[in-house]
Amino acid sequence: MDSRIKRRIKVAVYLLAAVVTVLVLRLYFLQVMSGDLFAERAQENIVRTKSIPAPRGNIYDRNGNLLVKSIPFLAVAVEPRAVLASEESLQFLSRNLDLNQDELQEKLRKANISYLERIVLQQDIDEKTMVVFKENMSNLAGVELIEIYLREYNYGFLAAHVLGYTGEIDEETLSSEQFRGIYEGGDQIGISGIEQSYEEILRGIKGRATYEVDPLGRPVATVEKIDYIPGNDLYLTLDIELQGRVEELLYQAILEVREMPVETGSQETFNVPGGAVVVLEAQTGEVMAMASYPTFNPEVFVGGVSSQDWQYLNDPANMWPLNNRAVMSYPPGSSFKLVPAYAGLQEEVIDVNSRIGCAGTWFGLGRDFPKHCWRAGGHGAQNVYGGLAQSCNVFFYEVGYRLFNKNQNEEELLQKYARMFGFGQKTDLDLPFEGPGLVGDRAWKLDYFKDQAELSLWYPGDSVNLAIGQGDLRTTPLQMAQAYMMVANRGSYTTPHLVREVRDFSGDLFLEVEGEQREMELIDKYHLEVIEQGLYQVVTSGTAAGRFLGFPLDRIPVAGKTGTAEFVGRQNFGWFASYAPVGDPQYVVVAMLEEAGGGSASAAPLVRKIYDYLYNLEAFDDD
Amino acid sequence: MMIDYSPKVIQEENKRHLRFDFILFFAVMALSGFGLLIIYSATRFSLPGGVTDPAFFLKRQAYAFAGGIFLFVILLFVDYKKIKRWWILIFVSGAALAFSPLVFGYEVHYTRSWIDLGFTTVQPSEIAKIFMVVSVSAIFSKWKGEKENQVGFKKVALSLAVAVVFTGLVLLQSDFGTSLVFFITYLGLLFISGANLLYFLGILGASTGLVFLGIRTGIIMEYQLDRILVVLRPDMQTGDIGYNLNQSMLAIGSGGVWGQGLFLGRQTNLNYVPEHQTDFIFSVIGEELGFIGCFVVILVLGVVIWRCFSISYQATDHFGSLIAAGLAFIILTQMLINIGMTIGIMPIIGIPLPFLSYGGTSLLALLMGLALVENVYMRRELRPYRQIAYEEFE
Repeated sequence: MDSRIKRRIKVAVYLLAAVVTVLVLRLYFLQVMSGDLFAERAQENIVRTKSIPAPRGNIYDRNGNLLVKSIPFLAVAVEPRAVLASEESLQFLSRNLDLNQDELQEKLRKANISYLERIVLQQDIDEKTMVVFKENMSNLAGVELIEIYLREYNYGFLAAHVLGYTGEIDEETLSSEQFRGIYEGGDQIGISGIEQSYEEILRGIKGRATYEVDPLGRPVATVEKIDYIPGNDLYLTLDIELQGRVEELLYQAILEVREMPVETGSQETFNVPGGAVVVLEAQTGEVMAMASYPTFNPEVFVGGVSSQDWQYLNDPANMWPLNNRAVMSYPPGSSFKLVPAYAGLQEEVIDVNSRIGCAGTWFGLGRDFPKHCWRAGGHGAQNVYGGLAQSCNVFFYEVGYRLFNKNQNEEELLQKYARMFGFGQKTDLDLPFEGPGLVGDRAWKLDYFKDQAELSLWYPGDSVNLAIGQGDLRTTPLQMAQAYMMVANRGSYTTPHLVREVRDFSGDLFLEVEGEQREMELIDKYHLEVIEQGLYQVVTSGTAAGRFLGFPLDRIPVAGKTGTAEFVGRQNFGWFASYAPVGDPQYVVVAMLEEAGGGSASAAPLVRKIYDYLYNLEAFDDD
Repeated sequence: MMIDYSPKVIQEENKRHLRFDFILFFAVMALSGFGLLIIYSATRFSLPGGVTDPAFFLKRQAYAFAGGIFLFVILLFVDYKKIKRWWILIFVSGAALAFSPLVFGYEVHYTRSWIDLGFTTVQPSEIAKIFMVVSVSAIFSKWKGEKENQVGFKKVALSLAVAVVFTGLVLLQSDFGTSLVFFITYLGLLFISGANLLYFLGILGASTGLVFLGIRTGIIMEYQLDRILVVLRPDMQTGDIGYNLNQSMLAIGSGGVWGQGLFLGRQTNLNYVPEHQTDFIFSVIGEELGFIGCFVVILVLGVVIWRCFSISYQATDHFGSLIAAGLAFIILTQMLINIGMTIGIMPIIGIPLPFLSYGGTSLLALLMGLALVENVYMRRELRPYRQIAYEEFE
């Protein structure tokens, strides 16, 4: 070789030496100088932490009957990233869980993008599937069987709206500020009812197992294990037997009213798509029963609701079974009349002996604006007792009108008293989705009709309508029960609530729940007694007298009020709000039936049957 | 003192001399054997679907190794000087090899460089490397009718055409990494050929310019670009490519000085490092055997390359010298790129680590090439050296 070539080969050898030096120096930096740092970071790869789900707390009724419990199920959980990388796992999962592979892949990809470390593919697998999974587990990347807890309902659909249901937490909730870090994919979370409002108390605290894995990912040594703490148990104020009877009676009443003709001789009958009943313990505000029809079976949500069931529950034709009508807002009709009565007495636009004549029509707003009483022939001259007992509209038109005229309606007195009775605001019952109702006033109307100036003023006619429970007024059956509870207790009351006690898993009392002690703003015990007397007459000689025939009113005096609310485009809604016994109130019972006609014929008989049950009088009734 | 130049004396002289480079041979055997061990460590838990034999990859690589040794021995008996005159045939068949995956091949990771022979799959471009080295070496050595070997414009142009055909065909398979190895090896040969340095610098500059043009016009795919950029821009290390690099560096770094121990690498065995039996085999070495293991592996690879250059240096004809240098450049380039990418100083370019990565074709081709190198060593003529020695002595 000539010397030029030899020189060049030498250059190439220097290049080799340089390459070797660079590589070795870099390796020295990585392995010798930063080795510990990398080892530490790599450690994170070989240590796995898995959470151990905690069983959710049980739910009992006031007498200690177990309503809802948690039972363990095996579920298939996957690490999206690992499964996506393994064709084998994908195929196995789609084959054995009967899932479309493309859909499965899409689902995992989405979960992976959201950085979900684990998602549950199927809850509650059967034994055969479990065996297949266990046999193949060692070959499957990113697949595991985990224990999860699902709900079991001892009383089926009873109290479904109160209890609510649980379901797998969705991605949106999971990534929300409030829940991040507490929940992980596949966790159960309360979605409605008590399950939702007491989620934090029921859910328990997850355990955590940290362990090292061998090169195959199998656990070899446990580094740390922290046991879970089961969720706390709830003891409700509900009496499940009463609840059962109330739901049954509500259903029967709806069926009966559906047979009734709209008018005598008419072919048309009432639709009665739904109804609600609330039973409160008058002294404590405890909700002893809360029924809503149509209802649903919370069991359909266990292990994930099927699309068929979900469709059924959300089909308008089925009248929204998931809605808890006991806390939804409805026009109250005459059951609201205790408010104008009390306001009239307090504001001295009437006194106990003031009589207002009723000839079937009221012309207070002028000849061109006749307002009618429900009884075309009129009631004659009535005082406040008679006005309530007969539910005389003319009497209350006049009271409402006088209240409006006092100080040019400066103080909006009627609305003020309505709010005093708890209307227009939530009762703060411990259930989600409670409606606040509506008490219309000047400000509300101005805002509501802000684009139509000519409609936005509050007219005397608006107050007059309000006084008979019509117009811009919406109340929930629960609010109504609370208002009657105020009368029963002469102004002081306890806010309604559904939970009495929280006990931890060992049975120790953890929290005692009591409603808030409140007093009405303006209490005049005498005037409340007058109202009570009027309400008592409703049952003894007034609009509901026929419905309480044979009821031992001497022993158990009932105070109540019928209501028939007009609803544009729909049949009248029937109400009956009541409590008993007068003087030493025990129960407040309110029933509301949608599109069921007059409260006297529809809701009152139902409430009477509930009292029959409460006072063990049913045997005498069954003729 | 008079030296006897009679053929008989020369024959005697040559026979007495050691005719085989044992250092090169044992270094290659050691690397390949160690490769089997590391492949077994890397693959016994990550097997393809349906395979239960943990030695699956080990066995396949061992067959290729055995076949390679067989070919190696056969080739020792063929005088490399005699294949020089067949260089056009070698070029054509080499080009056919490089072209074949475009017709019969299938795609893996965007590249189309594999052919399925039924009982096994092969990567023809690996073998084509050796064919290119041989044909380019032939062009750069003495032509018939030449008195002295002059590497001028004609030879450079012809060799460049040959190199472009090879590089282009591999580039058509979208195998960017392998085509890079082809071209760098060619540049190495051009340098060693003794051609005017202006040719070398001109071609180097022009090809670099073409690559930039390719990027600007979008002929070079984005994913290929990403792999290059990931080294320059660490903020890109969040995607899949960055993930590979991160996990690989984590594995190597966590090996420390002595490593986790053979078969005990968790990073790699738990599949955190992708492609850990092929392109990222060095991560396994780094994690399991630490700095010491890596150092030894690089050193032995360095010895192999050094021996090739040394044989190139000692060769008594240009053809042999260039073949040996060509092999040295193939191994050097692949070592630099492959190890460099696993430790974050080179772009992620998928090419095997010589002798160590799983891949039968690569091993077979390297053993064939090294048989030629040994061949050059064996058939070098000793007389001129002796002559020089004596002359210097006098």
